[in-house]
Amino acid sequence: MQTAEHMLRTGRRGTGHEFTLAVADLKASGARLGLSWSLAWHDVVSRYRGSILGPLWITLSMAFMVLGIGFLYSELQHISLTETLPFVALGIVFWGVISLVIIEGCDTFVLASSMLSQTSLPIFTFVWRTVLRNIVVLGHHVVIIVAVLIYFGFWRKMNLPLAVLGLALTLANISWVSLATAITSARFRDIPQIVTSVMQFSMFMTPVFWQPSSRSGLMHLVLTFNPFFHMLDAIRSPLLGQAPDPMSYAILAVMAVVGWAGTFATFVLTRRNIVHYL
Amino acid sequence: MSPPVSIRVSDLTVRLPVYGVDSKSLKKHLARVAVGGSLGQAHHGSAEVTAIKGLNMQLKAGDRLGLIGHNGSGKTTLLRALSGAYEPDQGEIEVHGRIAPLLDLSLGIDPSATGLENIRLRGRIAGMSSAEIEARMDEISAFTGLGPFLAMPLKSYSAGMQARLAFAVATAVDADVLLMDEWIAVGDADFQKIAHARLLSLVERAGILVLASHDLDLIRLYCNKVMRMEGGVASPVTEIRKLDKLLAEPLVANA
Repeated sequence: MQTAEHMLRTGRRGTGHEFTLAVADLKASGARLGLSWSLAWHDVVSRYRGSILGPLWITLSMAFMVLGIGFLYSELQHISLTETLPFVALGIVFWGVISLVIIEGCDTFVLASSMLSQTSLPIFTFVWRTVLRNIVVLGHHVVIIVAVLIYFGFWRKMNLPLAVLGLALTLANISWVSLATAITSARFRDIPQIVTSVMQFSMFMTPVFWQPSSRSGLMHLVLTFNPFFHMLDAIRSPLLGQAPDPMSYAILAVMAVVGWAGTFATFVLTRRNIVHYL
Repeated sequence: MSPPVSIRVSDLTVRLPVYGVDSKSLKKHLARVAVGGSLGQAHHGSAEVTAIKGLNMQLKAGDRLGLIGHNGSGKTTLLRALSGAYEPDQGEIEVHGRIAPLLDLSLGIDPSATGLENIRLRGRIAGMSSAEIEARMDEISAFTGLGPFLAMPLKSYSAGMQARLAFAVATAVDADVLLMDEWIAVGDADFQKIAHARLLSLVERAGILVLASHDLDLIRLYCNKVMRMEGGVASPVTEIRKLDKLLAEPLVANA
């Protein structure tokens, strides 16, 4: 009886060896990305099981939210709807991806505990599951974005490639944050509460609904040191035909590299124990 | 040419860190860091249980190993280590062959999804591709004997029906190495007979079976080798006919 499948598990042999094993886990998750996708897709489908509209609810509920907040802020800030609604629509949709990938990161390993404790599936498979699940949700929101951009005529002056670059950089960043919240939440059960509070606070500290009118004083500080502002700016401004701050892309790129280095180092050190945290 | 199915475990030690409810709290952890020296020294790190100590074994295709031992002797930990979930702290585990852990039938089963969806999901987790699953779908469906119920959500099933489905999917994989924690006995008398036949054919097809059980008759029936564990220490892999002798001898010299 011949077989191609091979598993070798070895004891602790120093940090260099642990690093190799962590990279192997990452590679294996890449080879089985289809599994992450199946799990993510299953998650989205089961959330809307039994409802008549199914995942269309993702689109509908978001459309209502965008309309409501769009009208409200247009009145409150005395700005025309043409200016507010697209801004708010893009803001809420992309904020949703950012905050959910990070908040749902807290559950990544906790929900996968039975699979982690009796199979050799790569740990990263479940990180990609969380990220992909929210990309599927974003796919449902694209309808709203396209509708708004066409209706208000932004499609003529938007810079799509730059927005895609912004989205890619954002995903690169929220993925490592998601991994970080996943590891820490498995170990310390207070982390999910902290993450949820921080994300709620950040939603108001970031120009998701409100337009930054001036960049002076405290506002300048808030915008410069708020990583979420740079994420939104890098995606939203090019879509609205505005010139984004080039610094935003630079900051996001540096943050992605530094963040992944730090988080991956944490993963290297905790990888063996993640299954025992659960 | 790929190597034949085999399991090699050398000098395996597995320690399980125990994170109590307390140590999961961030406050306690931070307080410990803050207090540093005095309190920190005594309580730093978590308690560890050495579940397996210096275990050696070699299995080749055709070996059906029975694991016996009291509760907490390390049988399940060994199975989880063989499945690849628990990493060794010392030593090595090398497995050639596709591993099918049947430790928990409910793995990856979603009660609100339909029977068919569960078959697909569980198959994907077990390492089958979507095409492979579709190709075997009829066979698996037929084996469950659930017919039209497969289109209904699992939560509408009786416990026995759920077990049938879980069993059918879990055993659908072409595995070389089968890991079982207690022999699976599910469903009504009819189904038990089919399940029994299926497990036997699986055992015959699979190169290696590792079965942990407290039922010695079962072990005598299915296994040709046996290993006894006690407090994380294992006896050598022994021929099944020497089981009585194995049971009579103390494992640890000074026990």
